[in-house]
Amino acid sequence: MLSIKNLTASINGTPVLKGIDLEIKAGEIHAIMGPNGSGKSTLGKVLVGHPAYEVTGGEVLYEGRNLFDMAADERARAGLFMGFQHPIEVPGVSNAAFLRLAYNKKAEAEGRDELDPLEFDDFIHEKIKLVAMKEEFLDRSLNEGFSGGEKKRNEILQMAVLEPKLAILDELDSGLDIDALRVLGDAVNKLQRPDRALLIITHFPRILETIQPQFVHVLSGGRILKSAGKELAIELEDRGYDWVLEEAAAGGAR
Amino acid sequence: MTTVVAGSNLLADLLSGPRPAEWASLREAAELRLAGRELPATRDEDWKYTDLKVLASSTFGPAPKATVDIAGHLLPEMVGTRQVFVNGHHAPHASCASAVPAGVRYFPMSHASEACHTLGSIGNGAAKGLFEDLNTARFEDGAVILVPKNLKVALPLHLLFITKAETPIAVFPRILVMLERGAELELVEEHHGEGPYLSCPVVEVHVAEGAILRHERVQRESPEAYHLGTLKAEVGRGGQYHSRTLSFGARLSRQQPWVRLAEGAEASLDGLALLEGAQVADTHSFLHHAEPGASSHQLHKCIVDGKARAIFNGRILVAQGAQGTDAQQQSRNLLLSEAARVDTKPQLEIYADDVKCSHGAAVGQLDPEELFYLQSRGMNADDARNLLTYGFAADVLTHIPVASLRRALRQLVMARTQATSLGDLG
Repeated sequence: MLSIKNLTASINGTPVLKGIDLEIKAGEIHAIMGPNGSGKSTLGKVLVGHPAYEVTGGEVLYEGRNLFDMAADERARAGLFMGFQHPIEVPGVSNAAFLRLAYNKKAEAEGRDELDPLEFDDFIHEKIKLVAMKEEFLDRSLNEGFSGGEKKRNEILQMAVLEPKLAILDELDSGLDIDALRVLGDAVNKLQRPDRALLIITHFPRILETIQPQFVHVLSGGRILKSAGKELAIELEDRGYDWVLEEAAAGGAR
Repeated sequence: MTTVVAGSNLLADLLSGPRPAEWASLREAAELRLAGRELPATRDEDWKYTDLKVLASSTFGPAPKATVDIAGHLLPEMVGTRQVFVNGHHAPHASCASAVPAGVRYFPMSHASEACHTLGSIGNGAAKGLFEDLNTARFEDGAVILVPKNLKVALPLHLLFITKAETPIAVFPRILVMLERGAELELVEEHHGEGPYLSCPVVEVHVAEGAILRHERVQRESPEAYHLGTLKAEVGRGGQYHSRTLSFGARLSRQQPWVRLAEGAEASLDGLALLEGAQVADTHSFLHHAEPGASSHQLHKCIVDGKARAIFNGRILVAQGAQGTDAQQQSRNLLLSEAARVDTKPQLEIYADDVKCSHGAAVGQLDPEELFYLQSRGMNADDARNLLTYGFAADVLTHIPVASLRRALRQLVMARTQATSLGDLG
């Protein structure tokens, strides 16, 4: 589904990604872990087309298409989604209107019927149950005045509405209490299907107890230093990141 | 100080007609203050960015009585609470106040007794504005609203001022609102029109102790019109005055809200101006924290396209002894074209030491992070821009309590921000 080869990217001329290789197939759940400032979020934002980052080399194929030939909105309509660590507030645009607009843009792109406000009302009421969101959040302005946790809930609601093929979730657990994390983790699991894939970006292994990855990658200094199965997450929980960095440094020196 | 605009005889022209008979002493006093004065010029600091030269060279005749079809202006919540004025004259057949609760006095100024001594009394001691005096000297009619003690009026009241001009005319709408202790009211004041004209409305608001007035003000004057408005509000102890001024029309408009807050009073003074073409919209506000413990909140937003120009001057005065004052002011401006221009100036004067005051001004384009967020959800760049522009303006409309008015204004904002193609954004 996604094939990343020797990807490099920079922000304001500073290299942040220094050669990433990663293969994600349908049905898989991958976790990217690493210390703060390692380039984890950058990888996600580059994949969804954030304009602040410049791709300086390498190749990314998404379902066989060159990802960088597609504008950010095209990527979204083609099934790529990122749940952001710090979602933006948009005053004056109601959450419900925004969600319906996003849904209809994607439906239009896929040749499905668009939903009118009444039909969408029924549709969205099913979806908010999945993420246990209170109805009042639909009428409020998009993310405006939402707490950190409410914003994360709203990101997963958007994911549930858009049903992406590949969802990248950046630090989903930050700002969430244990109960909310369980609810959102369960929601993400319910949305996962054999024809879809997930890329979980996280500093803390905690979330991987709910959303269990088959593959765990440690990213540091803009490179993937180590890839293994989910047992790596448990090891990182016990031992932290330093040993991976040291191991990589020793390997590089040899 | 006022300076002479060469060749200007506008004031003399406007004052030359017969003086209306009622309120003689009030009018004489205003005429006396106006004697020898001329229109302000851009050399006056207060009028630096708003050039009245084009006004000075115009002639505005007296406003004839006219009839208009008001069907398009009726709002369901307020069909039975409306007073309509056409070309400054009360239109009894277009008005209907049958749903106004007993006890509320709600009638045209022309029916008011001169014993209504509060007219013109706000801000005694403070200098009267030139256009305020002009209104006092020449107003024909307007509305008087008196809400007695502790009466909470459930239905909003609707004041419609419609001007229909074939040749240039001048109108001087006058509004007096008095809420007695503990009274509550929602008031919608709208100005519409077609053709060339000058409108100089004056609104006087008295909010007594513990009373609450919510005041929506919609300016949709004709594209050929000039609108030079004055609002004066005095808010008693623990009273609340919340106003929202929405400026869409007029080639040149100026709003001068003046609000004085007594101890523990609350005010919000929000504004939105949506400008295009060569429109000019100026807001010069004055919030006077005269006593301790009052709070004020001001959000003023402008969207400026074409070669239009917005001006905001927000003065906040915290008097000596007005401890515990909380004053928040924000001026936010969106420029949609290269030639558009905004001049914004917050002006805080604080003479007390225990206060919480903040102000901020921002002028710019849409935030690229916000654009990207919407694009990352599948909206193309144009749709994202239009949705954000709409949201920037609609933000000011969100808390309008009259649902039909809120919907109508959202539709208007959608049309003006090219957001109509995005469907129902309600």
